[in-house]
Amino acid sequence: MLNPKQFAAFALMAVAATGSPAAAQLRVVATTPDLASLAREIGGSTVSATALAKPTEDPHFVDAKPSHIVTLNRADALIEGGAELELGWLPPLLENSRNAKISAGAPGRIVASQGIRMMEIPAAFDRSKGDVHAMGNPHFLIDPLNAKIIARQIASRFSQIDPKSAASYRANLARFNARLDLKVAEWQKQLAPYRGARIVTYHKDFVYFAPRFGLSIVESLEPKPGISPSPAHLASVIRKMKATNAHVILVQPFQNRRTAETVARQTGAAVLNVSQQPGARPNTGTYFDMMDNLVNTLAGALRTQ
Amino acid sequence: MSADLQVVWEVMKWPLAACLLFPPILVYLGLHVVEREVIFVDLALAQVATLGTCVALLMGYHFDDRATFWISLAVTFLGAAFFSWSRSTEKGPVPQEAIIGITFVVAAAGVILLLSRVAGGKEELEHLLTGDILNVTKGAIGQRILVFAALGAFYAAFHQRFVLISSDPERAFASGIRVRLWDFLFYAAFALVVVSFVRLAGVLLTFAYLIVPAVCGTMLAQQWMKRLVIGCAVAAAAGLLGLWTSYQLDLPTGAAIVCASGVLLAIVGVFVSIRRRA
Ligand SMILES: [Zn+2]
Repeated sequence: MLNPKQFAAFALMAVAATGSPAAAQLRVVATTPDLASLAREIGGSTVSATALAKPTEDPHFVDAKPSHIVTLNRADALIEGGAELELGWLPPLLENSRNAKISAGAPGRIVASQGIRMMEIPAAFDRSKGDVHAMGNPHFLIDPLNAKIIARQIASRFSQIDPKSAASYRANLARFNARLDLKVAEWQKQLAPYRGARIVTYHKDFVYFAPRFGLSIVESLEPKPGISPSPAHLASVIRKMKATNAHVILVQPFQNRRTAETVARQTGAAVLNVSQQPGARPNTGTYFDMMDNLVNTLAGALRTQ
Repeated sequence: MSADLQVVWEVMKWPLAACLLFPPILVYLGLHVVEREVIFVDLALAQVATLGTCVALLMGYHFDDRATFWISLAVTFLGAAFFSWSRSTEKGPVPQEAIIGITFVVAAAGVILLLSRVAGGKEELEHLLTGDILNVTKGAIGQRILVFAALGAFYAAFHQRFVLISSDPERAFASGIRVRLWDFLFYAAFALVVVSFVRLAGVLLTFAYLIVPAVCGTMLAQQWMKRLVIGCAVAAAAGLLGLWTSYQLDLPTGAAIVCASGVLLAIVGVFVSIRRRA
């Protein structure tokens, strides 16, 4: 006798065997939701993409769970940010998942940072002094033109692993690029009135975004990427914000909002809940939704200043 | 389905090995700690070991570097020396519990201070507490089997002597045993076990494996051997239950094992109180 669970599994297998497209899907794992969203844009219905990090989780520090190893073990492709973004947590998971398809150098291993012009590459690096950005700032996907570069790389790798769907990946890439061009123009227009506006972030996570949209980042609350804010540093941030007339502090879900509020009380700034990850804010399932939400939130706050 | 089981096995086999192979020595030490009524000495030592790890991180070493282990061990030996000294200075006006508690709090605060200067300190702190038993490797297990086997032999050889100084220090002093020296050896070996296991499994899991099975054994039996066997069984059950729950519900593995051992302790407690009443 089959129990209900076994019966359901059996029925599912039977459905899969009758040739539903789900059976042939390329299984793609991305380290973060933004990369998973790009994989979905390019893969369409031909791939199923999941992210290891939750949208509200710090991509530098993800907690290992058994499901991560299982997902990696079964993956046909892995998309990682690279530039040491996942250095703290991905290597042991990968070692345990033992999947040759996504091992370093395999076609299934896609490193997003390859092909990106990296910013903030440190001249000298000392891990003991903090700094989680040893190879330059890894938060580059927040610049839509970088998303374009990564989408092209994803499309070419998908075509390499799965040549029979190459035409579909090409078409999806063209459609993605066309839509992105329209959206970038729209976002530029929305933020154009605030050209030169000064903003503050918690981590150095918007350094690719600001120049693209004509904003200027005055300071970050962390004295160095990955180092918790110290009172002395916060005092200097407050002085600088007053001197430069900066009125907006951007905080992501995993960052300490209360620190930002302390600074905001002294400076009269607005603390904005934003995220670089699709799904972290309500109704932001895709990269486009996420960028829409970010640009709207920012434009709204700058308007009322 | 069998392909599924294959994956489960691949993912969980080394954590499983760690949960079955290492607890016996922890349980043995836990029995001593319970007997000495210095329950929190291991939590304090585990925290001191973590403090040592943070010192190494601040010096620029990586968590997995060999130097980190030695620095952590050296700092923990200092803690061990301190505890053996504070215990063997006979009955002073200050109970040892107070000294242990202060050590824990100062070490914990020291960890916070040091980690505020280390990249991702907040997350690092959480990792040090909950450990990363899910990502334990074959190599790490092999190394610790060697260390723990050697220490196990050491404890077995001097078992009677350790039991005497744990359960009846006055008589040990009277019979001419150099209690201070043996106490230091006890705590030093203890520190080595704690440092090795904390690096693998975090402070919380180390404490849980040391104390919960030993307390269960002490509640259910009188003789050392029986207590040890019961303790090992409880530790193994907690490991299995925790790993299974962690896999099924996709929860962080170390914390799941700690909670599983808490559940087992509650069950044993209820069983004992019912048996007493009957
Ligand atoms: Zn960063």
